[in-house]
Amino acid sequence: MPGSCEAAITLTGDLHARPAGSLAVMAAKFQSVVELTVGVHTADAKSVLAVMGLGATRGQQITVRAAGPDAAEAVTALIGVLAEATPVGG
Amino acid sequence: MSDEARVGIVLVSHSAALAQGTAEVAGQIGGGSVVIAAAGGTDDGGIGTSIARVRRAVQYADAGAGVVILPDLGSSVLTVRALLAEEEFDGPVALADAPFVEGAVAATVTAAAGGDVKAVLQAAEEARHARKL
Repeated sequence: MPGSCEAAITLTGDLHARPAGSLAVMAAKFQSVVELTVGVHTADAKSVLAVMGLGATRGQQITVRAAGPDAAEAVTALIGVLAEATPVGG
Repeated sequence: MSDEARVGIVLVSHSAALAQGTAEVAGQIGGGSVVIAAAGGTDDGGIGTSIARVRRAVQYADAGAGVVILPDLGSSVLTVRALLAEEEFDGPVALADAPFVEGAVAATVTAAAGGDVKAVLQAAEEARHARKL
């Protein structure tokens, strides 16, 4: 059943290159279209360069939005990566 | 998907240090599950390209799913083309028309996620359109 899902998290660290890579690798495992929104900017979560281009920093809210057959799983997985990866930085 | 071989990445540069450094950056961002082979410099370590180094890198990087090659500039492209014209490799080998650093990072991430040669090539080439700022 195709569906859509979204969740938001406040970044506890800057969204550096390494967490951007982890996010894109995770997002690509899902069939759903997955987008990240920070402020007025939205990026395809499967594109590491687009994710880095968001320039998201600590304290900003980032919204994960997915649409497709595994939307809920994708959002849960990406929120998990965001919660885990951002304090490490790099 | 995680059990399957990943597409390998070959970075061809006039400088051994540039190829190696780009491989290190891409490997860090890609999470370390992809083989990235650096083929930089001439056979004696100078600035230039070496068909023998590129050949070894392609053989090393091919884990069974094929290889995407990113050249830096000019004669890197000619060297890769000369190699591909004279030699058959086991798996598919594609030459990417992409910015070197951004293409290497995007290609590595797509390979790490289990993308095939076509998907990895596309990710590298789409890096041209990514805005940095």
